[in-house]
Amino acid sequence: MKSSYVIALVMILVSIGIFISASADVSTYATFESAIVSQSRVKIAGKLNKKKAMEYDPTVDADRFVFHMIDSDEVSNKVILLKPKPQDFERSEQIVLTGAMKDGAFVADEILMKCPSKYKEEEIALRK
Amino acid sequence: MNEIQYLGEHIWVGTVGHLSIILGFVTSLFTAFTYYKSTQSQGTDDSNGWRMLGRIGWMIHGICVFTLFGVILFAMSQFYYEYQYVQAHVSDDLPMRYILSAFWEGQEGSFMLWMIWHVILGMFVWRRDYKWESPVLTIIVLINAVIFSMLLGLQVELGDTVYKIGANPTLLLRNVLELPLFANADYTSLITGNGLNPLLQNYWMTIHPPMLFMGFASTAFPFAFAIAGLWTGDHKGWLKPATSWSLFSAGVLGTGILMGAIWAYEALSFGGYWAWDPVENASLVPWLLLVAGVHTHMVARSSGYAIRSTYLFYILTFVFVLYSTYLTRSGVLGETSVHAFTEMGLGYQLVFFVLFFLLLGLVLYIYRYKSIPSPEKEENIKSREFWMFIGSLVLMFAGFLIISSTSLPVFNKIATYFNEDYVGRVIEDPIEHFNKFQLWIAVFVSILSSVSIYLRYGSKQRKWSKISIHIIIAAVVAAILTYLLTFWISYKEAWQYTALTYFGLFAMVANFDYIFTQTKNNVRLASSAVSHFGFGAMMLGIITSGLNQSFISNNPFVFGETMDDVAKKRSIVLIKGEPLYSEGHFITWKSDTLIANTRHYDINFQKIDEDRNVLEEWNLKPNAVYANDFSKISAFNPDTRHKWHEDIFTCILNLSPPMMSQEQLKEMEDTLVYNTYYASIGDTIRGIENDIVIERLNYEPTHPEYNPADNDFGVALVTSFHNRESKRDSTIETALGLRGPLVYKYPEKIESFGVRVRPADTLMNMIFPIETDLTYNRYTTTQGGSFNADGTTIELVELSNQPGKSSYQPEDGDIAIEARLKVTRDGVSYPATPIYVIRGNMPMSIKHYIPQTGTHIRFSNIDPVKETFGFKVAQQNTVLPPLAIEIAEQVTRSDLLLLEAKIFPGINIFWSGTIMMMMGLLMAWLLRVFSKNDDKRNRNQKEES
Repeated sequence: MKSSYVIALVMILVSIGIFISASADVSTYATFESAIVSQSRVKIAGKLNKKKAMEYDPTVDADRFVFHMIDSDEVSNKVILLKPKPQDFERSEQIVLTGAMKDGAFVADEILMKCPSKYKEEEIALRK
Repeated sequence: MNEIQYLGEHIWVGTVGHLSIILGFVTSLFTAFTYYKSTQSQGTDDSNGWRMLGRIGWMIHGICVFTLFGVILFAMSQFYYEYQYVQAHVSDDLPMRYILSAFWEGQEGSFMLWMIWHVILGMFVWRRDYKWESPVLTIIVLINAVIFSMLLGLQVELGDTVYKIGANPTLLLRNVLELPLFANADYTSLITGNGLNPLLQNYWMTIHPPMLFMGFASTAFPFAFAIAGLWTGDHKGWLKPATSWSLFSAGVLGTGILMGAIWAYEALSFGGYWAWDPVENASLVPWLLLVAGVHTHMVARSSGYAIRSTYLFYILTFVFVLYSTYLTRSGVLGETSVHAFTEMGLGYQLVFFVLFFLLLGLVLYIYRYKSIPSPEKEENIKSREFWMFIGSLVLMFAGFLIISSTSLPVFNKIATYFNEDYVGRVIEDPIEHFNKFQLWIAVFVSILSSVSIYLRYGSKQRKWSKISIHIIIAAVVAAILTYLLTFWISYKEAWQYTALTYFGLFAMVANFDYIFTQTKNNVRLASSAVSHFGFGAMMLGIITSGLNQSFISNNPFVFGETMDDVAKKRSIVLIKGEPLYSEGHFITWKSDTLIANTRHYDINFQKIDEDRNVLEEWNLKPNAVYANDFSKISAFNPDTRHKWHEDIFTCILNLSPPMMSQEQLKEMEDTLVYNTYYASIGDTIRGIENDIVIERLNYEPTHPEYNPADNDFGVALVTSFHNRESKRDSTIETALGLRGPLVYKYPEKIESFGVRVRPADTLMNMIFPIETDLTYNRYTTTQGGSFNADGTTIELVELSNQPGKSSYQPEDGDIAIEARLKVTRDGVSYPATPIYVIRGNMPMSIKHYIPQTGTHIRFSNIDPVKETFGFKVAQQNTVLPPLAIEIAEQVTRSDLLLLEAKIFPGINIFWSGTIMMMMGLLMAWLLRVFSKNDDKRNRNQKEES
């Protein structure tokens, strides 16, 4: 299988190359501060700032939801999400946004939420 | 403290279930041991004895698995909420057809499903592969032992920490939780279940998991055969019986994954069939490795090369199935996946599961490595097996790439063990990341899967000129097709996509040609070409339906900060009844209807040309599913129009907040300002924006929520609105219903006027005066007789002992007589049915009120001797005081919905391609199953002759 060894070697080299180039797709979560500095597209994880008001009016623009998020450095910043307000948003425990800083607000077009599991164990539904 | 004697519990379910778990676990170990002994003593008489014991153990083990499955399913179908697993997954309102879905919604249920398939499939080894039964089933039953350990529910204390081994699905709720509720002996009558997540209340949830788990379970068989080969040292013998198993497994697992993709596309709001989600990847990778294994397996059987790699591929396939179980069930994926099982806290046990079989496989492999036959001679570079081997390496390579990226959360977790401050890494744009690399692998696979089929095994090749003519023709035809396709789809000016399309078409043309010119009607040869053709078609389908998908819903509003992201705005807001123009279509939300807990939205599409002529018109019905208690909307389901060349997919993304949940509705209602107006019929009320007139009273309300059977008496205010600004008119009805002493209000609204109307609290008393304000006169009559009360003629038509009024609630021992009267005033007749009741020696009467004439009638006594019947009648003034009505104006509209409408061109190419891939595998499997029977028949014939 000599020729296959050669090909296997080529593939190993290719895979090393791909892994190196793939590592460029990988990053850590940014913070609002680092997003201001970099001005590029980043992911930020944090939680909803419940003290600040949320704005959502589908009659004006259904794809624009404004809220404030606290990042891992405990910094709160305005977020403009270019998507409808997700279901059960208030109950989210963690939010991951993808977007970039623009004029002091973080403009995001993707959101992932981690919600508490559907039912808390201690809650047992009673028959009505 | 005395032990509480609980009522309504069905303890036998838990007893039988728990016994099945323990016995099932013990018999799996016993069976593994006996089959092990049988394998070790192969060739001696003892072997058969051990084998018989193994079979008995297997039977008992199988019965335990089925019994456990049966009792839990039974408890679920009977809603035995005293059991934690039942309580967690079903609820009173769950339709029986979703009981299986609820069963495998939980991890425990899906583990049982997995074991059941091992038991069923294992029996085929008895029948078909006698020689390999002992070693193969040793492995299979050992796997079941590990799965069973996930259900043991033991608590082991080691030092200070308590380790949990398995979660027992037959535990009582009161043994799992400590709640004050359990002080009540009759707690079972008080509780209900949590029910099945409405997103999963779908027939796909019934059929997809069994298929996928049959796929997972079937991968254990090539694995077990490989281990058996290594164990017994018969490195070539296992290849033949294992062939049909691995083909079957690849076909079934592939179909299971495909069904998941169809489910996501047809019934979920994702708007696509594949999203490189970790859970999807985790099931794809074992399949890629299995398909790689199938190819080297063929090479091994035809040429004797690649036995080593076949071993490795089958071991890795199964280990990656276990790894995917770990990923989806341990909670390690966290926020990177949209769907994963709820956590059970069995992470360490799952790691053990993976490592145990990984080490078993690898250690045996390394130990036997030298003895595995491998031809010294270098293989011919122009042979089929050489390129098949390369293809398998490419598939493995693809699998490793996918799983490394998917495992990033696992690496993060490991890194934090060594460095607590380690900051986890994430992939910024997973879909782009995966597509970027897999595109080239797909191109490579397309080339290999079309050129290699023209080659032959071994060194005797046909003349290159004969082969090259086919390849050149395929290359040219593919080029022409690639060009012709530009009239329909676009490659987005990217050479990568053009290349993928070209090579996809090349694979299709070459394999098509191969089937018709080379196979000479040999179906076995054709089956691989069918799969390869399907692969090419799948690539083409990805380009047409993925790259070329477009949105009908395109939000025309663009705001400052979103300038750069216009393309990201892909939804439109529809107002009920108002057509909206978007991308060559008029889209109208016509109506919506509530059926059970699902609201269906009737959305009309009109495709128009530049002169506004309607080219095509169709309706789609996406829907919204309410939570089981109707407190909120918990899921949106899409609806798709299937045309032969494209699909039009629609899904509701959101509704206005008050429509989304009771809580938000109440919040909105609380902020409304209602003004109370007093007006006589025909008077005009000047509201803030509207001129309002109460036109008349309607004693037969037509309000959609008003049900005459529920109410003793109902009245509606027919009210007209004239909007001063829009100069439009609208008339609506707001109603009141009386049930015994309770008054029910039926509010109404005109969304386009921003109006909400409801009757004022005092309205009932205005129309239906309280008893003390009335003066009754007594009258007596006989059956069929009549009397006159203040100008009203009342005739006693008949008597009935079966009263039909809802305000009469029968009780035991009641004697109730209903008088059926005909009441005539001013030449108009109305029916009336007052009731006379004797309850516990006390006479009482239930009155009848005729609002049109203002007549109150009570049936007051019965004289059985004279056969006369006494009535009390009060006549009320029919001129009403000004009526009180409450009106809120300038209310924000709530009849809005956010819609996504997407076109998937050529999606059927994608589906046909994937289906053909699976068909090719299953065809090859079936051919082998039948030819095996042929072999047997031939052998039998030989023996006879």
